Amino acid sequence: MAIPKDYFAWAARQFDPAHIHEKPEALRGIRVLDLSVIYFGPATADFLGELGAEVIKVEMPGQGDVTRILGNASFFWKNVSVAFFCANHSKYHVGIDMHRSAGQELIRQLATRSDVVVENFKAGTLEEKFGIGYRQLRELNPRLIYVANTGFGQWGPFSRGRASYDGLAQAVSGLTAITGDGEVPTKIGNYLGDWFGASMSALGVLAALRWRDRTGEGQFVEMAQCEGLLRAMDWTWLYAGLTGRDRAKAGNGDHVFSPAGVYRCSDGYVALVAGTDGEFRSLCRLIGQARLAKDPRFASRASRRETAHARALEAVIGAWCARRTRAQVEAAARKAGIAAAPVMTAKDQIDDPHLRARRSVWEHDDPVYSQMVECGPAPKLSATPARIKWAGKPVGFHNDFVLRSVLGLDPERIRALYAEGAIGRWAEGRRGAGPPEGWKGEGVLE
Amino acid sequence: MSAEHAKPVDGPPWEQWIRAAEEPSRVPDLPEALDDLMVLDLSHGHYGALLTATYLAELGAEVIKVEPPDGDPARRWGPPDASVGGEGLAFLAEARNRYHVTLDLGTAEGRRLVKGLAERADVLVEGFAPGRLDGLGLGYRQLSKLNRRLVYVACSAWGQFGPKAKGQPAEYDLTDQALSGLLHITGDPEAPPVKVGSWISAYAQAVWGAVAALAALHWRVHSGRGQMIDVTGAEALMRYLEYTLLLQHASGHTRGRTGLYEIAVFPYTFVPVKDGWAFIAGYTDPNFGALCRVMGRPDLARDPRFNTTLQRTQLENEVQLRDEIQKWSVNHTAEEILAKVLADPGPGIVVFGPLNPPTRTLEEEHWWERGCFKRIMDPIYGDLLLQMPVWRMTRTPPRLKWPCRPAGYHQEHVLQKYFGRPTSGHTERR
Repeated sequence: MAIPKDYFAWAARQFDPAHIHEKPEALRGIRVLDLSVIYFGPATADFLGELGAEVIKVEMPGQGDVTRILGNASFFWKNVSVAFFCANHSKYHVGIDMHRSAGQELIRQLATRSDVVVENFKAGTLEEKFGIGYRQLRELNPRLIYVANTGFGQWGPFSRGRASYDGLAQAVSGLTAITGDGEVPTKIGNYLGDWFGASMSALGVLAALRWRDRTGEGQFVEMAQCEGLLRAMDWTWLYAGLTGRDRAKAGNGDHVFSPAGVYRCSDGYVALVAGTDGEFRSLCRLIGQARLAKDPRFASRASRRETAHARALEAVIGAWCARRTRAQVEAAARKAGIAAAPVMTAKDQIDDPHLRARRSVWEHDDPVYSQMVECGPAPKLSATPARIKWAGKPVGFHNDFVLRSVLGLDPERIRALYAEGAIGRWAEGRRGAGPPEGWKGEGVLE
Repeated sequence: MSAEHAKPVDGPPWEQWIRAAEEPSRVPDLPEALDDLMVLDLSHGHYGALLTATYLAELGAEVIKVEPPDGDPARRWGPPDASVGGEGLAFLAEARNRYHVTLDLGTAEGRRLVKGLAERADVLVEGFAPGRLDGLGLGYRQLSKLNRRLVYVACSAWGQFGPKAKGQPAEYDLTDQALSGLLHITGDPEAPPVKVGSWISAYAQAVWGAVAALAALHWRVHSGRGQMIDVTGAEALMRYLEYTLLLQHASGHTRGRTGLYEIAVFPYTFVPVKDGWAFIAGYTDPNFGALCRVMGRPDLARDPRFNTTLQRTQLENEVQLRDEIQKWSVNHTAEEILAKVLADPGPGIVVFGPLNPPTRTLEEEHWWERGCFKRIMDPIYGDLLLQMPVWRMTRTPPRLKWPCRPAGYHQEHVLQKYFGRPTSGHTERR
């Protein structure tokens, strides 16, 4: 049956980005206390924040989160590394020294008034070292949902003394071993283990929130990044269990769909897949090789996958792509009902009208950092759209605002906390921690 | 330091307590977070939509999968050299915990029954071409009139709106990886880009679809209203590309492929070891100090090429530093290096682990003890090794109940439950 003529106009009205900021937020009223660093924890809180939760990010006074100083000189922009912003949108930034008892007490008071706590310390650290672990905080707030992100989990042989980064998760899970081809391993270019883990962690929190909406009960949720990647390897384990073998590396091909590949065009690379018999016939016509559709080597998905057959197809498709630009291939394939997509660079994405119209490229004007171009929230919600409200801020930027408005502390008490070092802002002159040169107090919340 | 002010906890040490609280064998006795929800799974040859419903099913939702009389085409997806009971392994691995019915959307009776189910559903997940279900009278536009509380998740390659939405082709993982920008930054600069080996975009699309659906359900508690959610696999992965867009905006630097090097953090790389390959990292100053200590090369920590994070992430320095690490690592097995790492007293910590083929991962006791994998003897499909849900939750843990079932397996049960009697207009199988 046909697609109704007015469908896309109707859909565009449901999601019209011009109205994002007028619409309500799904998680409004949920407060998240973010005690984490780098990406895995902060992104968990960030994803909840995109959906409307109020996120209070706690950092060590002086230097703050290490993402503020990542990268070489090309990363530094307005006195901070560009690596900092992607996991820290629309948060309230407070600098609290958790090594001091007055700092720990502030965390307890904030957790008492929070719905969710996010942390990514080594298992047990917050309880044993700082007195603000799950068992201590739930005494103060039984409705609390406490999510702890680690590499290997809170318990089990590998949880003791082993730290983790995304790259480790890629390696130990087996994902690297099924990626690419050849002897030298391919490191996946982004911090996939952190980001996928963070979104899974946010999903765990939201399931716990559903339970709390029903019963009033909080709980402890944990997410281990190595286990996240293990889970995202489709049929790898089932295959190993049945055959005793590792699945073969497939490079840019696919064990299921063929032809599938990445081809060089005159201006870059394009990915192209014709996964059904119908799409394959259409592709043969498109590239002027209609006879291939009748060739017994390519008669079924199964026979097209055989290595020699797949190679033969790849050569023909590759030759056709080589004489065209990425846009020509994409447009011609689309007209023929075949999936082809340019291998997009950041520059391609920033200039792409489609991604801009969907706010996946999100441009905003921040009071401290002025014009920003970032990746917008992934899911689009018609009634409660996810959004970016402001960019990450210097260490302790919202100290006074949060301590006054959330904890009701008076200015005298706040001054005393600064004086004893329980709270603090950025250290002057410390790269990555403070505001840009020439900042004159813009963005401060009274 | 004032740890002495920390209020001690009554009871066993943390590790012991949390292990007992998350004990895998206790899971069936505990309640499920989402067991008041009904989810209609209309994924049809769409892995991301299928997985969206899978996550919700693991967390306790009742998921009803509607397939055409000859089954979801995704049932035939799997590697060529293994299948079980005619099911492709990709489907069998993930189509779990569902109730399977067959309804023909091409008939008025089939559509009537889908509408009847949608009237009672909390969430509907689909992966048809945008507008396709709308054309059948089963889109959000029509179903929301029957059920204003419905949360409708639509998965597609280019989305439901935007200049490229109309006329889009089918969604595949490879094209999603290309559009997301992840493909461009994976691999060596001198070679073509390399895709992630699993269908990672579908996993990413599914987690965003499920996150958005649960956020929408929270909002529904007070508003009483559902909504429509639009998720693409490409944008799902694109959100995972950290600073890529801002770096472009701020410095004009287009992030490219860097192979085993890294523009933001170093060392953070794979190195050869005596018995294979391994990951090794120590990129902050204290952690780099620990790495140099473990390597027995304290001189490197003071070397002006490597003594700050800024210096260590200069590409020419990265190459030299990785060479130094490799000279050392090739003389030790992964196990030997891990022992050194674990024995290091600090300050700082080295992150290290072997690059495992999947069959090696399966030999490690850690994952089994934590219940990451399970071997089951299924009455229909036999001996299956399956990956388990990933979240540990002390009150409402997720769980695997059963693997996929043949198309239409629960026909009578579902129609009886929702329509009170067996209904015509379908073909029952098995």
